Amino acid sequence: MTGVSKRFGSVVALDQVSLTVEKGTLHAVVGENGAGKTTLMRVLYGAWKPDEGTIQIEGKERSFANSHEAMLAGVGMVSQHYGIVPEPTNLQNLILGAEGGAIIDLAEAEQRASSIAKKMGFAFDWHAEASRLSPAGAQKLEILKLLWKDSEVMILDEPTAMLSPADSDALFGSLRQLVDEGRTVILVTHRLPEVMEHCRRVTVLRNGKAVADREVGETTSQELAQLIVGGAMVAPEPSPAREPGPPMLDVSSLTVRGAKGHEALKDVDLTVRAGEVVGIAGVDGSGQRELYHAIVGIVDPESGTVGMGGADVTGRSTADRLDGGLRIIPEDRHAEGVVEEWSLVENSSLGLQRWAPLRKGRMIDTKRRSEWAQRVVDRFKTRHGGLGLPLSSLSGGNQQRFVAARALESQPRLIIAFQPARGLDILGTADIYRAIRQRCDEGAGALIVSFDLDELLEHCDRLVVMNSGSLRRPPEGREKDRDAIGRLMVSAS
Amino acid sequence: MLSLSFALVVIVVTAPLILAAMGGYTSERGGVINIALEGKMLAAACLTAIVSHQVNAPAGVLAGIAAAIVLSLVLWLMTQHFFIDHVISGMAINALAAGGTNFLFGRYRQSDEIPQLPLAFYTVTAFVLPFALWLYAGRTRGGLRLISVGSDPEKSRLMGIEPIFVRMGGLVATGVFTGLAGAMLVTDTGRFSDNMTAGRGYIALAALIIGGWRPVPAFLACLLFGAFTALRIELVGSNVFGANLPSQFWSMLPYIVTIIALAGFLGRSRSPAGLGKH
Amino acid sequence: MNWKLVALIFAALAIVAGSLMLTKATPMTAATEMFKGSLGSPRAISGSIREMTPLLIAGLAVFIALRAGLFNIGVEGQLLVGAFTCAVVALRAPGPTGAMLGAVSGMAAGALWAYPAGLIKAYRNGHEVITTIMLNNIAGYLTSYLVAGPFIAPPGDYPATATLGEATRLGNFLEGPVAVNWAIPIGLLATAGLALWLRYTVSGYELLAVGANPTAARFSGVDPARVVVRSMLASGAIAGLAGALQVLAYEHRFYADFSPGYGFDALGVALLAGGSAFGVIPSAFVFGALSRGGIRLAIYEVPKGIVGVILGLMILIAAAIRYRKVKTVA
Repeated sequence: MTGVSKRFGSVVALDQVSLTVEKGTLHAVVGENGAGKTTLMRVLYGAWKPDEGTIQIEGKERSFANSHEAMLAGVGMVSQHYGIVPEPTNLQNLILGAEGGAIIDLAEAEQRASSIAKKMGFAFDWHAEASRLSPAGAQKLEILKLLWKDSEVMILDEPTAMLSPADSDALFGSLRQLVDEGRTVILVTHRLPEVMEHCRRVTVLRNGKAVADREVGETTSQELAQLIVGGAMVAPEPSPAREPGPPMLDVSSLTVRGAKGHEALKDVDLTVRAGEVVGIAGVDGSGQRELYHAIVGIVDPESGTVGMGGADVTGRSTADRLDGGLRIIPEDRHAEGVVEEWSLVENSSLGLQRWAPLRKGRMIDTKRRSEWAQRVVDRFKTRHGGLGLPLSSLSGGNQQRFVAARALESQPRLIIAFQPARGLDILGTADIYRAIRQRCDEGAGALIVSFDLDELLEHCDRLVVMNSGSLRRPPEGREKDRDAIGRLMVSAS
Repeated sequence: MLSLSFALVVIVVTAPLILAAMGGYTSERGGVINIALEGKMLAAACLTAIVSHQVNAPAGVLAGIAAAIVLSLVLWLMTQHFFIDHVISGMAINALAAGGTNFLFGRYRQSDEIPQLPLAFYTVTAFVLPFALWLYAGRTRGGLRLISVGSDPEKSRLMGIEPIFVRMGGLVATGVFTGLAGAMLVTDTGRFSDNMTAGRGYIALAALIIGGWRPVPAFLACLLFGAFTALRIELVGSNVFGANLPSQFWSMLPYIVTIIALAGFLGRSRSPAGLGKH
Repeated sequence: MNWKLVALIFAALAIVAGSLMLTKATPMTAATEMFKGSLGSPRAISGSIREMTPLLIAGLAVFIALRAGLFNIGVEGQLLVGAFTCAVVALRAPGPTGAMLGAVSGMAAGALWAYPAGLIKAYRNGHEVITTIMLNNIAGYLTSYLVAGPFIAPPGDYPATATLGEATRLGNFLEGPVAVNWAIPIGLLATAGLALWLRYTVSGYELLAVGANPTAARFSGVDPARVVVRSMLASGAIAGLAGALQVLAYEHRFYADFSPGYGFDALGVALLAGGSAFGVIPSAFVFGALSRGGIRLAIYEVPKGIVGVILGLMILIAAAIRYRKVKTVA
């Protein structure tokens, strides 16, 4: 790719980016959120047309009108959000888009699918509904989909974001096998250890520009990190040791059944004390979501209790819990935290509509609410075009700042944050964690769920691990030991 | 009671329901909520009556199908290009069809009986269709893509499948099936009359939902509704359990059964996840 | 300029003009006649206002449900049972008390008729569109049976209840060339109350939250199921009031085929109204004037269906303007 540019309105997403990838290698593209990684890959994959620049594959200049043409030319991409359709079976998902004829011969398709899977060392129940796949299974199926289409150039966007360390290692094993066969793999990631360990070359993007192109053997992760943020990294300040206060959250012997009737949480005990920031590590789907829902009060536990600030709130409504000072930074802010078509002012009181400062009896105090909205956007310097505009006018990162500020500024006593730094860059992430820390210093407690172990290690006082519905504690004195926690995340019980 | 004539009545009253429900299937499976089955049937019935009278029976049926396809494409345009809410679009189309057919037929006065295709043409088509669609969904490229788009349009798009075109195909099929349903109503009664569909489109939609958006169960639900209607026709005016129940009671029965079914075990059936999404 | 929208509006105008070409009226004469019939004289204006009344109140019923994310197609049936109950109750207790009792019992009947749809939606995830359509049909058959049988007025050759006495009827608020029944100020008051309630109260805010994003509402301490049931009850009660006022103010009795589809026109009224309850007022007036003006077209042998076509197109255009999903850049 030479001199590729792409603009969205007045925003320059890609500015004269050139990228050369050698056939039969594993090439990494790294950069912060919003650096242009995904945009560049979508241009290569034909999903978006570049405003300028050319693409050459094996010396021939190519121009793809859509992703279907790119697919025919042997370029395939696995997106961060897997392209797996929930209702059809695994086999149907595999062949979707490349069925090879109007009538599908299921037996023949299954034969070919099995032989491809076997070569990669994967096994699938082809006739199971794809909605039942684990994140790792979905990732594997995605790779098979590219092989089904005989892709020569395979683009993987953050493939390990949802995988455990062991699954990640297995994935890289498969990728190396593909590269040895002569296929080309482009890996989009923000995880530097992966780059250092598995890739041959690396290209760094920053603000839509390619700022460096290195052989992995000739660089260090320190240098790459500096290239990514464009300056020296600020060392994280060590958190001073404090005496934790009284328990703010007290979960005991909690068992919750999941949507499919299985025990999604098994006999979980957890206490978060005032002044403490507790992180929950674990592979996605290990029960974090059910725990989060049980604490918020939108699922009823099968057995066990949830206590907040010393009072038993099991069976009490979410409204009661919010009244008691529970504040949520939700997992999926679009679905759980905002109404996108509402104004910033209206959104600023969502979840706080019964909070005393924002109402007069049963009426909304509109004047106080406007002042409140101003405070919410000021807290993390949310960039906005007016408080009366719909929330959808904010970028993803600014929406996240808004939602976090709303929770953290409204006198929280217990903060529950599910991936609070989603969509934020390094500085934004640090801002939010600093605010959480500040609230905890003032006497609140915080429980953080994240799938990014490094983020948790950096910002939490202690970590616990969720593994297939059970809560595990690292051994005494090793609450922040990366290896010990990594082992707890994946080992069988 | 369970005589051959009763069975025949069941078949005749069920067939248009099946055709309409299958029309709903190809639309909703692709993710387009189709509350406009009623209007399409009505428009098809009207055009079939007029053109059959002017030209001949086959031309009439084709005209009816064409009318239903046009309304289907209007729904496609509204929901896929103008991004109007699917239920609102459907309601508007029903209003257009009710007003438009009243207008057209009010201008056009039919005097005598119209030429018709044999009823068997419709009933056979109707009773084969659910099984054909079942095979189509499971065994063909088109069927797989339709269900994928209805299940998750965004991800289907990632796989290089354009939901907008797949849905157009589904809606054209809706037009053909609801067109046949409307034409059959005219064949059954011999003439068009204002609002002659009388809620059959909604009943067909209810059957589709009760059948969990699967063709064969939806077909069985249609049969159930058909049987209730046939019972009414058979039993009105006669003594049942020693009482002479008013005809309104028999008319209400299928609706009451639907509500009980929705309130009970069938309410939780799973709808295509991509319904109404872009 | 949005060319797609312009194209839509032109296509709509072309359809209406084209249809009129088939008749003896030119589009120009049709437009003037409709104007004369709806706004051309005090009598015409009084007629339009009368047509507007049930559409305004039933439109509010659809509107409140719509704000809670519910499409209450069942307003028609709720209006029918409300009107029937009101007529029956008001006949038993003549005088203003009877009118009062009739209105209240009509509201209760409407709410009761909406209740199953709310429950099934909230706790069984059964789509309210299907259940309310079923309930409409049941209401239609049930009231037509009751008014043709147990409640028929002697001598019994026409399926209708007895007529309310003068004292039980709702009189005019404004007399004179343009007469306005008390039902209109009641409807306007209800509109204002609803609009202010939604905008300035915590419970109104919570209803809007459920309508806009039920999941976010749950995480914000609102129980969507409870809000759904309550909104459906409120919607049904308002629809019942629309039927009751129609009896008390204009019809003075209940009869078979009482409603020429007020509940369905009310859907269009609410969709045309947009985001604020105050929008229901002009919207109901436009619908009322159109159906009133349509009557005059019959002179030119233009079937009344043309009004339905115009209303359908108006709903589409209004929806295209208001309900467009904002396309987001990834």
